[in-house]
Amino acid sequence: MSKGFRQSQAFLHTWSGLLLGWVLFLVFIAGTIAFYREGLNRWMRPELAQVQQPMRVLAGAQTFLARKAPDAKSWFIAVADAQSPGAPVFWVPQPKPGEGRGRGRGGRGRRDNQALIGADGLVATARETRGGDFFYRFHFDLHYMPVIWARWLVGFASMMTLVAILSGIVTHKKIFRDFFTLRRAKGQRSWLDGHNATAVLALPFHLMITYTGLVTLMALLMPWAVVANYTDERAMGDALFPTMPAIARAGRPAPLLDLRTIAADAERRLGAPISSIEVSEPGDAAARVTVSQSPNATLNTRTPRLGYDGVTGRLLWQAPPTGAAAETAGVMIGLHAGRFAGAGLRFLYFLCGVGGTVMVASGMVLWTVKRRERLPDPQCPHLGFRIVERLNIAVIAGLPLGIAALFWANRLLAVGMKGRAEWEIHAMFLAWAGTAVLACVREPRAAWAGLLGATGALLVGLPLYDLAFTNRGLFAALAQGDLMLAGLDAAMLVIGIAFLLIARRVARHRPITRVMRRERRATTPERQEVTI
Amino acid sequence: MSGAAVLVCILAFLLFGLATEAHHRRRCAGPLSSRRRRLLRIGAWSALAVAFVLAIAAAGWIFGPVLWTGAVMAGAAAAFLALNLLPELSRTYHHGSTGQSD
Repeated sequence: MSKGFRQSQAFLHTWSGLLLGWVLFLVFIAGTIAFYREGLNRWMRPELAQVQQPMRVLAGAQTFLARKAPDAKSWFIAVADAQSPGAPVFWVPQPKPGEGRGRGRGGRGRRDNQALIGADGLVATARETRGGDFFYRFHFDLHYMPVIWARWLVGFASMMTLVAILSGIVTHKKIFRDFFTLRRAKGQRSWLDGHNATAVLALPFHLMITYTGLVTLMALLMPWAVVANYTDERAMGDALFPTMPAIARAGRPAPLLDLRTIAADAERRLGAPISSIEVSEPGDAAARVTVSQSPNATLNTRTPRLGYDGVTGRLLWQAPPTGAAAETAGVMIGLHAGRFAGAGLRFLYFLCGVGGTVMVASGMVLWTVKRRERLPDPQCPHLGFRIVERLNIAVIAGLPLGIAALFWANRLLAVGMKGRAEWEIHAMFLAWAGTAVLACVREPRAAWAGLLGATGALLVGLPLYDLAFTNRGLFAALAQGDLMLAGLDAAMLVIGIAFLLIARRVARHRPITRVMRRERRATTPERQEVTI
Repeated sequence: MSGAAVLVCILAFLLFGLATEAHHRRRCAGPLSSRRRRLLRIGAWSALAVAFVLAIAAAGWIFGPVLWTGAVMAGAAAAFLALNLLPELSRTYHHGSTGQSD
């Protein structure tokens, strides 16, 4: 009975893990990188100086917007801090008569309505890049496909992950006894131990990140609660994200108060730093300013907001506290994204993410390692085995190479190039497609070693390039006390060296155990191992 | 303070690891008596409790438990790697290459 149950769970674990494992690997690796989204936003714009005085940037943003879009419908200013590349601003022009009330978000029009204010308070000219924000989006929106499909796919993969984690716990026979066990150089055993170690050691993280990841998509995956309780999406939006009551334009010009005054008042009232300022009807007597608290200071991502009169600076409105359910969801999303995490905790998040990525990768490789030993003829495996083997190479070795290619494209593409930000991403997918071709034509071991080695070389090269050709290399960043940039360069060096070591190990690997096992099996055919 | 929490967690999991047959044989002198095992485990649990106090002191009641969970995972991983990958310090009590059979 118990054995039958465990075997059914092992079956579930194998197939729920395998079928969407490649999507899951992508989601894990992109999400792990996205923990350093802000850092990469700066790393990928090496010409920008670190922000030292956020208020100076805010004043610069206001000056710029007042000159550039004095009669806009609204301004949006992201408040800079030491971790951000500056203050991105955008503005929405007054709607023309007869035109629908567009938000101005997304689409091609937005590019002309935005700017980046640098550390000196002036408009910064940085290379066009999506920076670390790409990885954040890629993590759940994927790329080249409609967002809704991507989120359904990622949501489905997350559900399968939850199934795989829970069935994996059941399948793992000796979760505490084998807690510290790592049998090295023992073929399938070692892969199993490695897979178990990365899964069990960071199990709280894996459960948390999968479950809260599903929570972030819950309104999409389970729309019934929304449909049952709210008449339309706007009603739900108003309940979850209350906004200050809109007011008609007065038509009388009045100077906007210095936003620094409002920012300082908001920070005092909230007792925490602020992250964004939205001004509606600037320059009009009816100007309103909404200030949002930074999510860096709370576990809940849905942070309090304050509304001010833009001319007098009087506090007019406070976002009403949301309900317990919204609070729970906010806290779960906060736990998932780790926006509150300081340097140490963020690094732990990152390490756990690496653990999860290795868990997925080792599980997928384990599928082939385990089956290779049972193949009737290892020289000519069946089609399913070959598909999984090649897909593993194309995804597990190919995607990191693509990401390294994206970083190189960020450094090497001409600064003035048209569509540069998109081409950085195209470079990643082109390199990735190249690895897929390679995975199909080359012999597997050579393909693994070649791709891992190339990834390692590319990653190690990046900090060296920074040292030689930018003024923000490892040592310069350290000298400026910019630990984030220095840390990213150092991390690329370390990860690159790790890739090179693994590549060397794969290249030198001689599958002796396989021959020995076959001989042994030939003599004692009844000895079958029942493991996952 | 949060660094101290991680260090204490590493200590906790080193003790947990040394309370297992295989790692004790590789790294400690003398047999693993049930009394010694119990002492090691009590020490390990106490260290986890101390780490919790440190984490709360470092980050407060909201973020402290998150920090503690992270520190526990980091400690377990570091102890796992140390016990399995560091060469044995004492070769005198070293029996067999990997210690454990199936």
